[in-house]
Amino acid sequence: MKKLVLGLLFALAPLLSAQAPPNQEVVLSASAGSKLGIALPYPRISGLPEATVTTEFHQVLIKDLEEAGPFAVIQKDLPGGTDAASYKAWADTGTEWLLTTTINRGAGAELEVMIQVVDVMAGQGKNVKAVMSKRYTGKDGALRRIAHKISDDLMARLTGDSGVASTRVVFVKEAGRGIKEIYQVDRDGANAFPLTNFKSLTISPSIAPDGRLAYVTYKGGAPEIWGQRVPGGPQVKLYPPSGKVEGHCFCPSWSPDGKRLALVQSDRRGNTDIVMLDVATGRVRRLTDSNCINTDPSWNPAGTQLAFTSDREGGPQVFLMGDDGSNVRRLTQEGTYNGSPAWSPSGSMIAYVSRFEGKFDLFVYKLGEGKSYQITTGVASSESPSWSPDERRIVFSSGSRGGMQLYTTDLSGNTLRKLINLDGCQSPKWTRSR
Amino acid sequence: MRFARNLIPLAVVLTLGVGVACKKPAPAPAEPTAPAAAPAPDTSDADAQKRADEEAARRKAEADAEAARAAAAAAEMAKQEKFKNDAAAALKDINFEFDKSDIREVDKPKLQAIADFLKAYPEAKIQIAGNCDERGTVEYNLALGERRAHAGQNYLTGLGVDEGRLSSISFGKEKPEVQGHDDQSWLINRNCQFTLQ
Repeated sequence: MKKLVLGLLFALAPLLSAQAPPNQEVVLSASAGSKLGIALPYPRISGLPEATVTTEFHQVLIKDLEEAGPFAVIQKDLPGGTDAASYKAWADTGTEWLLTTTINRGAGAELEVMIQVVDVMAGQGKNVKAVMSKRYTGKDGALRRIAHKISDDLMARLTGDSGVASTRVVFVKEAGRGIKEIYQVDRDGANAFPLTNFKSLTISPSIAPDGRLAYVTYKGGAPEIWGQRVPGGPQVKLYPPSGKVEGHCFCPSWSPDGKRLALVQSDRRGNTDIVMLDVATGRVRRLTDSNCINTDPSWNPAGTQLAFTSDREGGPQVFLMGDDGSNVRRLTQEGTYNGSPAWSPSGSMIAYVSRFEGKFDLFVYKLGEGKSYQITTGVASSESPSWSPDERRIVFSSGSRGGMQLYTTDLSGNTLRKLINLDGCQSPKWTRSR
Repeated sequence: MRFARNLIPLAVVLTLGVGVACKKPAPAPAEPTAPAAAPAPDTSDADAQKRADEEAARRKAEADAEAARAAAAAAEMAKQEKFKNDAAAALKDINFEFDKSDIREVDKPKLQAIADFLKAYPEAKIQIAGNCDERGTVEYNLALGERRAHAGQNYLTGLGVDEGRLSSISFGKEKPEVQGHDDQSWLINRNCQFTLQ
């Protein structure tokens, strides 16, 4: 019942324009009505230092749960014990789920994390009701990963869908004048590291469902599509074939089945078209053929349609078409500059950016309603939206005066968060597969 | 100053009377080597006199050749210098309005100067890079930069420049020429840049 009610509440969360200005995090109070109160007494530990557990597990899990959406982590005036006799005291703090954790480290550096979740409201007195009970194992260094997994499992228990604590964001970071590289970072902003080291202009990453990369690099002079043919494999040129240069290539986008790349190719007249590359066979098919710009291909989750940006009717607008180039129709009707479409994981929404008074804001078009909703408002310019795999949030780049950073927002625009404190970032792609 | 350093070992070798001293000449000395460094001839020996004359003649011929080489190198350098100066004078950016790729009237003389430069130097090849200001999306600007580069290229071929001497590239908004965030900086960054290949 709880699951149903919560699901309903989030489905109804209003898609209104943001009240809070960007760059300012809005901290929701722990007592926010629709959230489930969860408390995490400090873990019982043996075999490893408390400092490690605090920074690599306890704080990580608290942050994951707070940022998951439906949880309110109860952190004030916590009772001492965790036995059945204390449940009433826990319930009085607003706690519904009480999460107790035991962490052991064996002689061989193997970790064992056991959790138990009790519904202290339903289980007061004799009828203790265990919501969840689970054991996690790993080697030294796995604590963060286990904390993320616990958060995702709690989300799955509560909502039916796995959370996104274990997900990653791949993005582009400036590494010098005219030099950009592809980076990856955990969803909570930890473990940022480069995926390319070409010391060249390298941009526009896309992630296949099995984690394979594709991107554009100028390392050979002209822009080419590089990436991986096999998961975890070497990074090689994917397109165009050597010695056969017919215009420049931009903006690769993996199809949902990971077999095709929609990409952008310029022609001899300076126009750009969307073409479809069958990666295994190298066969290419042109999807658009008009005297204009066509770029930014974004797949629907079924792999049957593409959203893209085109200036065929004047300024840039978002269009849709079939994956064979048929049935082209214009999506955005308002504004003179719309672009960067990103189809949502369920297929029901398309995020995009729209220019107004010299800066860009994020919008979401709901296909069922045929209406657009503004997500961000503020002084900064927001660009390059990419959906979280659970469709609850959008990651994007935002900034003014050239200092672009990565942020995430929910669809109300009310909980804006900085993903990582790093300047010169662009083109984030949120993925479960890396 | 490199020549002056090279002269010292050369003079020492000549003092010792080793004829092969000039087999591998120092790179283009600015002046002929000093005859004062030659050994005094022995007048009592005719053969020695002959050898000394031959040596002097060889040295003079070598010095003349060096002078000719230096003159040729200086001429080549002057030519290169003129080429560089002419290129720098001709290869000026042209600029664009926001979200536009039309060649502005004010830029047409600049393109004519580039075409004239390419006519004056038939060996020269140039790359045309299309760039955009920071406003606008990454991908759309890459396409717009492509269009600007082609606009520059088309205009030049219209002025009679062979297409094979022009290549194009787009950097979108990824490589701004200046870092400012005002109208003037944006105008500078919306450009075609012309560079020698």
